[in-house]
Amino acid sequence: MLELRDLVKHYPTPGNEPVRAVDGVSLTVSSGETVALYGPSGSGKTTLLLMIAMLLEPTAGTVRIGGRDVASLSEREASNFRHSELGFIRQSFDLLPGVSAIDNAILKLLKTTRWVTAQREIAPLLERLGLGERMHHRSETLSMGERQRVMIARALSTGPRLLLADEPTGSLDSRRGHEVLELLRALCRERGVAAVIVSHDPAAAEYADRVLSLRDGILSESS
Amino acid sequence: MKPRNVVHLYRVRLRARLLQECFAVVGIAAGVALLFASQVSSSSLQSSVSRLSSGIAGEATLQLLARDPHGFSQSMLARVREIPGVRVAAPVLESGANAIGPKGSRSVELIGADSSLSELGGALVRHTALRPFLGIGAVVLPAPLARAIGVRRFGQEVSFQVAGHTSEAPLYTELRESQVGALIGSAVAIVPLSTAQAMTGRHARVSRILIAPAAGAKTRVWAALQALAAGRLNVEEIGYEQVLFAKAAAASNQSSALFSAISALVGFLFAFNAMLFTVPQRRRLIVDLRRDGYTPRSVLAVLLVDALLLGGVSCVLGLALGEELSIHLLHANAAFLSLEFAVGSERFVSWQSVAIATGGGMLAAIVAVLSPLRAVISRDPLAAVAQPGVQRDSVAARQLRSPSALGAAGVACALAATLILLRAPDAAIPGMVLLVAALLLLLPLMLSVALEVLGRFARTIVGAVPHVARMELSAAGARAVAITATGAIAVFGSVAIQGAHKDLLAGLEDAARAANSSADLWVAPAGAYDLMNTAPFTPIEQAKLKRLPDVRAVRAYRGGLLDYGERRLLVLAPPRRAAPLLPASQILVGSARQATDRVREGGWLVLSKAIAAEHHLHVGQSLRLPTPNPMSFRIASMSTNLGWSSGAIVMSSSDYARAWASPDVSAYAILLAPGVTPDHAVHEVRQALGPRSGLAAQSAEAHTAQQNALSRQALSRLAQIATVIPIVAVLAMAAAIGAVIYERRPRLAKLKLEGFPRASLWHTILLESALLVGVGCATGAIFGLYGQQLADRALAETINFPVVYSVAGVGALSSLALMTAAVLAVLAIPGYLAASVPARLALAD
Repeated sequence: MLELRDLVKHYPTPGNEPVRAVDGVSLTVSSGETVALYGPSGSGKTTLLLMIAMLLEPTAGTVRIGGRDVASLSEREASNFRHSELGFIRQSFDLLPGVSAIDNAILKLLKTTRWVTAQREIAPLLERLGLGERMHHRSETLSMGERQRVMIARALSTGPRLLLADEPTGSLDSRRGHEVLELLRALCRERGVAAVIVSHDPAAAEYADRVLSLRDGILSESS
Repeated sequence: MKPRNVVHLYRVRLRARLLQECFAVVGIAAGVALLFASQVSSSSLQSSVSRLSSGIAGEATLQLLARDPHGFSQSMLARVREIPGVRVAAPVLESGANAIGPKGSRSVELIGADSSLSELGGALVRHTALRPFLGIGAVVLPAPLARAIGVRRFGQEVSFQVAGHTSEAPLYTELRESQVGALIGSAVAIVPLSTAQAMTGRHARVSRILIAPAAGAKTRVWAALQALAAGRLNVEEIGYEQVLFAKAAAASNQSSALFSAISALVGFLFAFNAMLFTVPQRRRLIVDLRRDGYTPRSVLAVLLVDALLLGGVSCVLGLALGEELSIHLLHANAAFLSLEFAVGSERFVSWQSVAIATGGGMLAAIVAVLSPLRAVISRDPLAAVAQPGVQRDSVAARQLRSPSALGAAGVACALAATLILLRAPDAAIPGMVLLVAALLLLLPLMLSVALEVLGRFARTIVGAVPHVARMELSAAGARAVAITATGAIAVFGSVAIQGAHKDLLAGLEDAARAANSSADLWVAPAGAYDLMNTAPFTPIEQAKLKRLPDVRAVRAYRGGLLDYGERRLLVLAPPRRAAPLLPASQILVGSARQATDRVREGGWLVLSKAIAAEHHLHVGQSLRLPTPNPMSFRIASMSTNLGWSSGAIVMSSSDYARAWASPDVSAYAILLAPGVTPDHAVHEVRQALGPRSGLAAQSAEAHTAQQNALSRQALSRLAQIATVIPIVAVLAMAAAIGAVIYERRPRLAKLKLEGFPRASLWHTILLESALLVGVGCATGAIFGLYGQQLADRALAETINFPVVYSVAGVGALSSLALMTAAVLAVLAIPGYLAASVPARLALAD
């Protein structure tokens, strides 16, 4: 599903050697596979995610998603591609206060779907995420774990083939972190979604099919 | 914490939040500027009258006053001086006049005085030695006035048109600001008493005697003066002119008070929008400081320094802006009042005006800075600032703040305002306050209804723009309401004021047309000072005019002013045979036809309804007028105030002559022969009058147009108000929405990350802005129309102005459209830039 070939990103610095943020990364993630990516701050994790999401042009190398080289996409196509093929989960919840959980969850879906249809489509996913009773509650009345689950629902609402999660458990306690990671793995497997989870949380490794480590822009398999 | 450290901390933080602090400064400064400008504007006229009055009267505390421009015999002066306890008695003869120099002419108050006036020590003559110019019949003018008419040199001649005559006087000296201070802007001309008497034709007569009693002798002197006056002259405190002016300027003052209130509210909302922008950062600061072990007292000290600096800078900027605003835009204009009161054109900045504006600004700054105070005193500051408004409030408190509960309170306020509209129109100001309260209380409900409608519409289409806009606005809470309220108040003020202004102007124009319609041509003393035909002159020209071939009839018109209680009334005395004798459109109580017959018959008059109500008088009842020859009249009917705010009386010309014990006229009403054009006749009459005449001929149409122009000038402040408020509100709303958009960039980036294109985000921003401004302005416009009716009713019922009722629907719609378009135009580019935020910003947090 996701194929990175010799991906390089160098940032020029005046008078010095360029910063090699990502230095020849090659990676393949299959449908339904979950990969955990570890690395200290400044190791190039965010740069790698930005290039996968077509938000940063690589210095060299290719990014293929679903067999398609994303470098060939125009800005509009990239935007549509991100909408339909990619899902993002971040550490911050980005839920609008004063708005119900379900309305927050369908935000992405509304770009292409009527409100009624979107609500109907998202409801089973919210049920699956354990929010059946809470989907009509306002976002500010939800717990942290529930809010992250709404974000998962939003990310998966358009049926993406690739999920990018940046510190998805960063704002959660250990128990809720485990719950969220468990749900993520299960849903990705059920839906055949390839997932890349960038995290500092050691628990992420327990729920990943593969664990990778990024250091000074170089990717390696973790033992 | 040491003061130096507090200041250091402020400087460090300021670098990080310069934009937000600048916005807060601009917001508060705008409020201070509006408040200051309106205060200066409203207090300038009254201050001008007071200062000019005391500038002439000095230490005098009592005065013996004539009841008409003819004055009374100067021989009274000796009798006043003989009264035991009179320390100084100074005679004064005053008259309106037209001063003409090589560069132009100006209406002035001609003051004839002798050297005893200097003994009273009034600022206007304190530095002018009156004695040297007494013998040469010269004139003293304030320097700006002398400059305006082009006389600068000693001995240069100034012509005066007064009481139908033209005379000359050489310039003695100019009064400079260093000599007379703020009175430098007064339109006065000081001449020796004998010169004034010669110019006006009032030989050996004076208008008033100013009296300074010895210490402790005032009551005794008052009683003796009353005996001397014998019911034919008035004995008054020296501040009587100010009392009369205050009554005459009541309508103007009320409009100023309304403007001050609306300005303060718009300014407060501007500041409130700014405050909401800075609150999150201050909350974070408090958390940081409290976690680092600072005591609540230290944190409070830090915040107070913030407030002091924010308030101080805002106030200085606001006062400077307000000063400019009051000089160039909101200048006070006495207009009609300047014809009958000695009012200067100078601006007065009182310490009260500065204090009120500065106090308001500092209060706004303190409220802005101290709003997260709960976090300062909380044991767990993080809990106190996290999820503000959600966890801490009780269910009951939230219900009380719900849109429907606030809406219900709003409806109650609107009902109370309706009650005032129907039953107590004189309580217009409380009525307006209730309307504003209703408007503010109903806004959250209007906004939620609009969002519900938008939501329903959004459900029928494919596209995220309306959904995102609805969700963002639902989440915006207090900010959305504050922005909406700014637009609502501005449009409310603008529509109400503009509507009332238009209706009043239409009414005044009707009254002027009606009053002038009984003649084709008017001949009256030249100069703008006699636009109301109240200056009497000796009737010498009538026969000459009658012989002209274009003239069918010449009738003597009389008119003047009469001080009655605390009112200076306008008296119109058309000739008995005038048709129409009474302006039928201005009659409010009684039959116009019957009243016309009775006034023609004599012994009857038409009285303004407000004066009749004040004295509990009805049609048919009798009242005694304090005219020079006191007479009783019966009331034939009741009218509007005919455009003169203190009220008016209409009687026949011959009754006037008897009551004023004088054959003098104040104008000739000329009827033209059939087929003669007024322009041709004006030329003929001017030739007949001759170049030395102080009289001028004018067609009735031109006379009406001149009066209408003065009406427009008198009401210009209302028009200025209705212009300034929306401009400030557009800036306030654009700034507030712009700030919200700027803060939203990370969230826009996240939407972009999820595949929303720039165009969708831009359209969302524009839709949100249009909704906020549209809902606010539409609600404001509806309430503005309501406010217009309230203001109209108050003007008509309380002050008796002739008002043509209307509903300013077009004005309301255009205000709504203009403001919405203006805000969208201002925000289009910042909105586009915000929508162009790179999506990678979303992963940078």
